[in-house]
Amino acid sequence: MKNLLKPTIVLGTIALISGITLAALNTITSSRIEALSRDKEQRALAQVLPGYTNIVEKEKSINGKAASYWVGEKQIDGKKQFGYAFIASKSGYSGDVVSMIGVSEKLIIEGIFILQQTETPGLGSRAEEVISDLNFWDFLAGKKEAEKKRPWFQRQFTGLNSAAEMKIVKKGNWTESNKDELLKNNEITAITGATITTSAVKRSIEAAVNDFKDIIKPADDGVDNETIK
Amino acid sequence: MELKIFFTILLSTIFINNYVLSRTLGTCPFLGVSKRLDSAIGMGFAVTFVMTITSFFTYIIYKFLLIPFNLTYLKTIVFILVIASIVQLVEMIINKSSPALYQALGIFLPLITTNCAVLGVAVLNIDSGFVTAQFGLLKSLLQGFGGGVGFTLALILMAGIRERLELAEIPENLKGMPISFILAGLLSLAFLGFAGMTI
Amino acid sequence: MKLLNEFTKGIWKKNPILVIGIGLCPVLAVTSSVTNALWMMVATTFVLVCSNILVSAVKSITPGHIRIPIFITIIATFVIVVELVLKAYQPEVYKALGIFIPLIVVNCIILGRAEEFASKNTIIPSIADGLGMGLGFGLTLVFLAFFREILGANTLLGYTFIPGMQPATALIMAPGGFIILGLMLWGMNKINSKNN
Repeated sequence: MKNLLKPTIVLGTIALISGITLAALNTITSSRIEALSRDKEQRALAQVLPGYTNIVEKEKSINGKAASYWVGEKQIDGKKQFGYAFIASKSGYSGDVVSMIGVSEKLIIEGIFILQQTETPGLGSRAEEVISDLNFWDFLAGKKEAEKKRPWFQRQFTGLNSAAEMKIVKKGNWTESNKDELLKNNEITAITGATITTSAVKRSIEAAVNDFKDIIKPADDGVDNETIK
Repeated sequence: MELKIFFTILLSTIFINNYVLSRTLGTCPFLGVSKRLDSAIGMGFAVTFVMTITSFFTYIIYKFLLIPFNLTYLKTIVFILVIASIVQLVEMIINKSSPALYQALGIFLPLITTNCAVLGVAVLNIDSGFVTAQFGLLKSLLQGFGGGVGFTLALILMAGIRERLELAEIPENLKGMPISFILAGLLSLAFLGFAGMTI
Repeated sequence: MKLLNEFTKGIWKKNPILVIGIGLCPVLAVTSSVTNALWMMVATTFVLVCSNILVSAVKSITPGHIRIPIFITIIATFVIVVELVLKAYQPEVYKALGIFIPLIVVNCIILGRAEEFASKNTIIPSIADGLGMGLGFGLTLVFLAFFREILGANTLLGYTFIPGMQPATALIMAPGGFIILGLMLWGMNKINSKNN
């Protein structure tokens, strides 16, 4: 009996202390972790619906599941235009690539923001790669970057027409020199060696736009829908 | 449609995302036990067995214990203790029921607790979002089983080459670990070929 | 003097990765960039030192046959501490290291040092041993990551290294990790055999 009692007490005490410590630490960190994820949503919204105000979150049912989307408004040439943001997800090379997509009411992409991906480092993960203007030697010399840039892979989607076919081409990185040509042909350039990731993002946009098509309606000419109803 | 997903999970854990050669999980036993073919096969079976059972129990515990009580932050400690218990239990059961099997697998079992691939599959099942997915339990089981089979495959391939390497003439300083790592690199490079597969 | 010896042995003479050959999982996975390797070094050293202290402190009341579960509980507790702190204060690092943070639990180095050193020595030498082993592990990671990041991604600490050079992407993927580590061990053997 004594042989059983001592180990049980020792193990129990250590487990108890560990449990209490972790529970305390969890209470301290959990509010911050939650705040971070809320903050991420806000940052994503600011990127995918640039210039839009009064952004409200709404819900609709897709295949029996509730899905959130966001609607914002913007004045263009004195007319009120709506912008819509929603979550798109398709499985990439390893795991789902989840992103937030913002489109105007004409289905032109306003911006995309990758929320979650677990792709291969150095290949698919470059979807979130930010290429700095500075190289390592500039960094050693103490030069500072003018502004924090957005990942080039995500920037190239802005301005594409999601209603027409978006083509994937292999033209290396998206840069200032090839961006106009890509935009004109409604093309995206694939991440070198990670065509699967590129196509996952593209397919997720197409699927999400299709899912949310019915909520996207062109604003009428100055007449407010709500007052008529 | 659903059937295809199960097939995809199995195929991708064995070949495309092979636990050892592409995710680099379980590298320690991969290099430690691959000197001889028969011990490689024994270790492979033991790991496959434990990984499948672990996937089952960790999934159940996470879904029905940790989530309802809001204890998901404890998953690491819970999973590792579950794995240690499973390994102990399996060792005891095999010892009592089948001495022949125990002789074959027995010495490998204690090593499995600290095999990253086992804890890895438990955590990956959660990260892959199987907990909320349809047929989540079956998917976790398949991922565990496929991971084990992939590990066994890598181990057997490696052991086969290393047995032959014993007879080869290699520079003195490359003998042992260095050449094994370079060999593993070449194998892993070969498995990179599966990456182009779309299913 | 003896304390200094406990500290330095982990860095070269008994380097956990290069000499003993344990704790290899994270070595290959997190060395695709120097930043990740540095954070892994910090996380592992923290867990190693803390678990060494605690294991050494409770060694007199630890019954021999259940010492392994006790060690694992202690180690796992500190791993969760690292997990929660990184998640709350360094979310980018948490995301980059991903699954390899919980996997610190099964890093054989930590359990190995608890079993081999901390459970037999007092607290102060255990701290020195933990720090030395953690640094030995971490510096190997950083060294490996240095080559892999420059050759495989043409960056260092995330900044372009040589503008215009095409990197050999295979080197930051799994095969490159295996091969460069193999070459490193070869180099170490060569140095050692020359010294003898």
